[in-house]
Amino acid sequence: MPMKSDFSSPQRQSLVGVVVMFVDTLQGTARALLPALAIMFFRENHISKVYVGIGLAVILLLTAIIAYLKYYNFTFFLDEDNDEFVIRKGVLNKTRIAIPLDKIQQVNINQSVIQKIIGVHALEVDTAGSSKKEVTIKAISHDLALALKKRLLESGKSNTLTGDIADNNEVTNSKEEKAFIEISFKSLLKTGVTSNYARSFAVLLAFTLTVFQNVEEYVDDYSFEKYITTEVLLRFMFFIIIGVIVLMLLVNLTRTILKFFNYKITKQQNSLLLSHGLLNTRNTIIRPERVQMVTVSRNYFQKKIDIQDIKIKQTSNSDVNSKEQQKSAIEIPGCSETEKDALLQFLLNKIPERGVMLKPSIRKAVIQTLFFLVIPLCFFSLLVYFDTNKLYDYGVYVPVYSIFVIVMIYFSYRNSALFVNNEFIIKQSGAWDVDNDFLAPHKIQAINLKQYFWHKRSDIGYVTLYTAGGTLTFGLADYTRLKQLTNYWLYQVETTDKNWM
Amino acid sequence: MDTVNNESDNLTDNNYINNPIDTLTLPKFEEVKLSPLQANYYKVMLFNIAVFHLLLVLVTGGLLYFVEAIRPYWYIPVTVIVFLLAISLTIARISFKRRGFAFRTHDVIYRSGAITVNTIIIPYNRVQHVALHEGLLSRKLGLATIEIFTAGGNSSDLKIPGLEKEHAEKIKQLLVGKVLKQDKDANEE
Repeated sequence: MPMKSDFSSPQRQSLVGVVVMFVDTLQGTARALLPALAIMFFRENHISKVYVGIGLAVILLLTAIIAYLKYYNFTFFLDEDNDEFVIRKGVLNKTRIAIPLDKIQQVNINQSVIQKIIGVHALEVDTAGSSKKEVTIKAISHDLALALKKRLLESGKSNTLTGDIADNNEVTNSKEEKAFIEISFKSLLKTGVTSNYARSFAVLLAFTLTVFQNVEEYVDDYSFEKYITTEVLLRFMFFIIIGVIVLMLLVNLTRTILKFFNYKITKQQNSLLLSHGLLNTRNTIIRPERVQMVTVSRNYFQKKIDIQDIKIKQTSNSDVNSKEQQKSAIEIPGCSETEKDALLQFLLNKIPERGVMLKPSIRKAVIQTLFFLVIPLCFFSLLVYFDTNKLYDYGVYVPVYSIFVIVMIYFSYRNSALFVNNEFIIKQSGAWDVDNDFLAPHKIQAINLKQYFWHKRSDIGYVTLYTAGGTLTFGLADYTRLKQLTNYWLYQVETTDKNWM
Repeated sequence: MDTVNNESDNLTDNNYINNPIDTLTLPKFEEVKLSPLQANYYKVMLFNIAVFHLLLVLVTGGLLYFVEAIRPYWYIPVTVIVFLLAISLTIARISFKRRGFAFRTHDVIYRSGAITVNTIIIPYNRVQHVALHEGLLSRKLGLATIEIFTAGGNSSDLKIPGLEKEHAEKIKQLLVGKVLKQDKDANEE
């Protein structure tokens, strides 16, 4: 093993890295072979266990060999002469990847469960050009990873900002002690208990309906009616509902804690370094200039206990509206008001203030009522009319559903608004979870105005602002106002000297 | 030297003079006169509709010929196809009339749509790259399509079909010139 800080000669990953390779390869193989295995399993019941055992052993052995070869053929080094980071890999097809150091955008150090168990880290190199993170060193010791990261980022900078290196080192050294923001375990607990009600509610509703149906069938079939009084049934339902609520809360809580445990945000030069996760430790770097949109969301409970979720959408190389992009929105849960302000100040250079308010037309609420209340109810009545026996019983739910929908539409309409001032566009929306999207006009890429022909007479329409981190649509509002705003935003984009990235 | 001048200009232009802006006196995109597409492009639209419906007719015809059980109900697919054709033609007519584009000093405007009127506007300093397409029939008619990409994702890309080939080429040069200039400015900063 060469000296730790010397990366000039090709070297392999940590030897324990074979384990990581093995697990990865095994996963791939298993996924590929699963259909075949399933078919074998169901078709040929009489296949002897010996053959299955032998087959599995062969697969495992092959996987192990491939994993070892992958490990053996994977080398990396810093080519100081050409200022490149070079990786060689591949078992049959050999690949050599050379990344010019000044093209390196970020270097992330992560840890999955496997890696945590055997005590290694993964080092991902993010470049400007590629859409995939194809350069990943899967097993490297923490010290080595840190040293390599420093070297990679340093050398890239030395071409442009020679003076900053000393500063950079200092920051790197002191970052361990001082965190910009730390999300406490208590905040995570609060977030876990108060978020995702919509999803939980849907699951709960589906569950209750199924239970009801089953219980009814059960009662009909075996005529247990004499044993089950209304009281027993109600009590039973009550317990089930409480049970499900507790279960949902627990699931939510576990998810939040697993994902966001030990959430630390540290300042590093001009960027924020986020690290979180109980089993898989994720590291993310946020650079303010790459941030396109920031969403702050909270519901009534969260408002009362002063926590809010912040979602940050950065530019990415992949397609903006793809799933990957949705996933890559960076989430910071459980921020207090002051933490939120500090973050916004850092990311947007300023705490956005609300400007002139624009409310949607009342027709928005009318249309929603039509779609979510009138049409479903008409449909339901029609079905009941033709098929009276079964559906009639569900008539009990009609008022419940109606009240729920009306309340949701009312609040969603009340919360919906667009605030515009010179520096920010703020869109507020949502019925229970109230979202505030913050967008600076110079991040706008394109503007689309849309109007259905039947909206022309009442002069209402929609506007969509496209950014490199997602879109913002506001609608059914005064079209003349939207046109004025569009002209204004265009003026801002076309005269600004700020870059969108 | 150039860079320094440039920067100080920017500062005086944008940062230090900070008068309130009267949004009503800003240039209005909705008052810009849009140029229509080439009349020949309507033929391309009709051709596309014809091809689609011909395929539909062939498939239904084949089904009616080979599956005897559905033959008595021949009038259902026929009505559907006639109905579809009528709707497509109406929409094509409205849509063609509605389409229009304009290149202003700082941005490009394109309007389209039949049931909805969509107006999409892209400032030149947000254009990533420009592409020029020619379809088979379009080439015969001397037409080309210009596609303008931004970093805002697929749905924000702008496609102007039915331009005269030479015109499209010129527009492309204009846009590429603007994009390059933008990049140069950004690098100098």
